[in-house]
Amino acid sequence: MLALNSVSKWYGEVCALDRLNVVIPDDCYVSLLGASGSGKTTLLRVIAGFEEQDEGTVTLNEVRLEGMPPHRRGIGFVFQNFALFPHLSVFDNIAFGLRYRETGAERDGSVIRQRVADMVRLVGLEGLERRAVTAISGGQRQRVALARTLVAEPRVVLLDEPLGALDANLRERMCDELKTIRERLGVTFLHVTGSESEALLMGDMVAVLADRRIAQIAPADELYARPVSPEVARRLNAYNILSGKLSNGAFRSKASGFPVRGEHLVDGTPIDVAVRFDRFTVRPSGAAGGAEAFVEARFIASEFTGALFLSFFRSNDGQLLQVVTHMSGPEPEMYETGKDYRLAFDPNDAIVYSGEAA
Amino acid sequence: MEIAEKASSGVSTVSVRASADSPAARRQRRERRRAYFLLAPGVLWMVLFMVVPMIMVVYVSFWTQTTFAIHPTITTDSWVRFLTSSTYLTSTWTTIRIWAIVLVATLVIGYPVALFIGLLVRNTTVQTTLLILCIIPFWTSFLIRIIAWRPMLGTQGAINTILLDLHLIDHPLRFLLFSEFSVLVGMTQIYCVFMVGPITFMLSRIDPSIIEAARDLGAGFWRIFWKIILPLSLPGVMVGSIFVSVMVLGEFATAASLSGRKVNLLGNIIVTQVGSLKWAFASVAGVVLTIIIVVVITALLRVVNIRKEV
Repeated sequence: MLALNSVSKWYGEVCALDRLNVVIPDDCYVSLLGASGSGKTTLLRVIAGFEEQDEGTVTLNEVRLEGMPPHRRGIGFVFQNFALFPHLSVFDNIAFGLRYRETGAERDGSVIRQRVADMVRLVGLEGLERRAVTAISGGQRQRVALARTLVAEPRVVLLDEPLGALDANLRERMCDELKTIRERLGVTFLHVTGSESEALLMGDMVAVLADRRIAQIAPADELYARPVSPEVARRLNAYNILSGKLSNGAFRSKASGFPVRGEHLVDGTPIDVAVRFDRFTVRPSGAAGGAEAFVEARFIASEFTGALFLSFFRSNDGQLLQVVTHMSGPEPEMYETGKDYRLAFDPNDAIVYSGEAA
Repeated sequence: MEIAEKASSGVSTVSVRASADSPAARRQRRERRRAYFLLAPGVLWMVLFMVVPMIMVVYVSFWTQTTFAIHPTITTDSWVRFLTSSTYLTSTWTTIRIWAIVLVATLVIGYPVALFIGLLVRNTTVQTTLLILCIIPFWTSFLIRIIAWRPMLGTQGAINTILLDLHLIDHPLRFLLFSEFSVLVGMTQIYCVFMVGPITFMLSRIDPSIIEAARDLGAGFWRIFWKIILPLSLPGVMVGSIFVSVMVLGEFATAASLSGRKVNLLGNIIVTQVGSLKWAFASVAGVVLTIIIVVVITALLRVVNIRKEV
């Protein structure tokens, strides 16, 4: 179990991590989602030991890691740019840790060959052992980087945007392989990414880094269904966030008004409401809606992305709203640019956050 | 019509003339012409001022030399004299020995400096500043830099005075100046920067994450140095070594002003022979020197295939 307790890290006046707490369970694939500049890489570097935190503790299985050099921590690091040794072959890259580590270096050539061969088989690099790492493809380099880290048998592997340098097709294939490899070895992977779809796809657990802290860590489906704060909802890139006030048990803003279940909230408090992109139905402006909640908004543009049809609207109070229609449903109708529509949704689908907590 | 013909005739039978006139071929020819045009001044210069003179030097080395004149009757006299005289063979050996020592000294002194500037300093502005600091001595003339060693190394010079004052020695050290030692010191100081520059350049290109990766895999500092940093900097070491070698092997000025005429390099022999109008003999020394330089550079290039590494 890897635990970070109240970890802070400053670069001069700039705070990169602010009293961050998180517990990463054993034998688990955790993806860490954060915008660029949110401190993802700093967090990984602190855990790996390339940098020390200014405050707080990092413990792995109850052992405190601060002050320990990177290689004593039992933590492997897979770099975003792979950081392969350019002058060594695939085999020598993978064998590097076994041969040259300070403690417990393996001197027996046949043991090294055996362990490297096992690892090569695991990551699917058979036949490329003698190649120069400059003469293999991006996906193969990714595998070498992974194999080189895994051969040292770390307890936790940190992956810094490991798929960022790969093209889309390869990325999907590597996603599956990373999961399989991890399951076979039973180690913990902490996979940092800026892509919400990658985070949700990869992680048994997903942690969201926002405002220099872990805002939420939960199983992927739970996180997607119930983000705990507007920040998390925003990071998931799947929710429209409406800001307004609570008034007589209803949400009120310039563009909208509908009853919400916020009994515990005091009248007049500012609240945020998150509604998923795909929960909206577009109706003509002024249409009778019955029990539906709605936002009046003007149509801006549409994007066709294959399985999804994205439509962008701007509400009366200036907010950009997104509506997602699945192409599996009925053919989406064409909206008229500049015309007003009514974006309707079931009030029960709205997640309410009190403004103070956010 | 023509296109249709070509299409019907198939790939294999497209006539050479038709493809030679295609826009793609024209463009290729234009680009080739431009490349030749860019190459021409350099080639012309090298042919006129290097290849032709080199051939001349080899030719002249076989001319007949009398005390006051030289005439183009082919003879091997100068070569025989050079290869049988212990003076000239000794000076050839001295040249090679001094070259080897200076090469090692510039490497031993220069590499740690390059390591500091290229690897430990990660700020490019500071890197550039430090490199400029290294070449500040070059803002004065070559001769001044050489002669400045005299008040430093002389019997009443700075080093002897300090050692005497500290009572570490009773008599001034005489080997410091006008000896092979002073030539080595002078050359090492002057040529060190040519070693530092290329090595620094190679080191600064090493991705820091590669070194972090090696650390993460458990390697200590020395392992990382031997297995990662040194191999990746070898092309820089080679380029620096070639710079230093070419300059040291052709040297004569440092030996002339710091050795008190005790050290005679091939360069010094060429200078004296030319001074006394012994052109044929100077040519022999010149050819021998050129051969040594070619052998050294070829050997260095063999050690590291620069094109492959960079």
